[in-house]
Amino acid sequence: MAPEVIIQRCRSLYAKLLRLYPKPHYQRFAESMEQTFNDRLLETVRQQKSVIGTALSMFIDTGLELARQNGKSIMRTNRNILRIAIVTALILLVPLLSMLITGETGWGPGDYVLAGSLLFGTGLAWELISRRTRSLAYKAAITIALVAAFVLVFANLAVGIVGSEDNPVNLMYFGVLAVGLIGAILVRLEAQGMARALFATAFAHTVVAVCALIIESRSSGSGLGEIVMLNACFVALFVGSALLFRRAGAAAPRTATSL
Amino acid sequence: MAKKDIANVPLTPAVLHILLALSTQERHGYGIMKQVEADSQGKVNMGPGTLYGSIGRMIDAGLIRESDKKIDPEMDDERRVYYKITALGQKALTAELDRYRQVVAVARQKRLAPSLFAYGA
Repeated sequence: MAPEVIIQRCRSLYAKLLRLYPKPHYQRFAESMEQTFNDRLLETVRQQKSVIGTALSMFIDTGLELARQNGKSIMRTNRNILRIAIVTALILLVPLLSMLITGETGWGPGDYVLAGSLLFGTGLAWELISRRTRSLAYKAAITIALVAAFVLVFANLAVGIVGSEDNPVNLMYFGVLAVGLIGAILVRLEAQGMARALFATAFAHTVVAVCALIIESRSSGSGLGEIVMLNACFVALFVGSALLFRRAGAAAPRTATSL
Repeated sequence: MAKKDIANVPLTPAVLHILLALSTQERHGYGIMKQVEADSQGKVNMGPGTLYGSIGRMIDAGLIRESDKKIDPEMDDERRVYYKITALGQKALTAELDRYRQVVAVARQKRLAPSLFAYGA
């Protein structure tokens, strides 16, 4: 077989091997590594040495580094997930201890499961999304968006944004989260798209807040100022997050497209 | 670890060789590989995995940085990413070479020659 054909086949195989690297390393170095692999093989041909032997040694070297990188990546991910679980458990200890000591917190098992799922789910989402980017603006944006979403759900279930938690008007706020979630899925977490999704979420929240205010003013009319303030805070958080996503997308187009 | 402290941390052989290769001029990956081979008289053969694994860690530590993506006139027309040593990298290299000099000085004081060591004995 001609050396050119062997090189071509080895390069193609090597490119496939490189795909096994963790995504950040792959995006940073895969092209350069493939070039270097090719350069080394061409040099081997010029020196009339064994192409297969050289290719094999580079496959082994890359395989070892690949195992090291993936091992580190898995360790890092699992360690962070474990930390999230511990923090969730510690937070849940607060109402549990409060209930045991003072007897004031009336949480049932379902409440703990719900609060735990919300906390752990939010932390896990943050970990899985933020570890895919190096952009601080993106990380800040996703943190704000997730915190806002968490507080919105938690406050809605615990006490209700409007009136009490039993007030059906509060159900409209889940529509706000649906807008953000569907938007994030549609844009595949890409920074500029996320900015648009978060602006849409802020707009949806404003619409819901106006509807809630109209309904409330017709029924009780009490606490309208508080409702306005609370909703304004959520809108500000969503807009802030959108602006940070926009900044992340503008500052690092590679980060934006990589997500 | 703070970046300024990195300059005083002992370097791995791969990092030392890469810094040495980049100390005279910026090079692309294969250029570094060839220079490392030349500097070590063929004793160190670095594969792309080790090379780019080290490059990644060195960029993160601030020892080197990406320079440009350009064509190497001595090679084909593919554009390659070049790497450049930073001031911190230069400092780390100097500190490491000083450590080596001190070790060699101690060995000379003790009148030790490589032939006196009985490896594996």
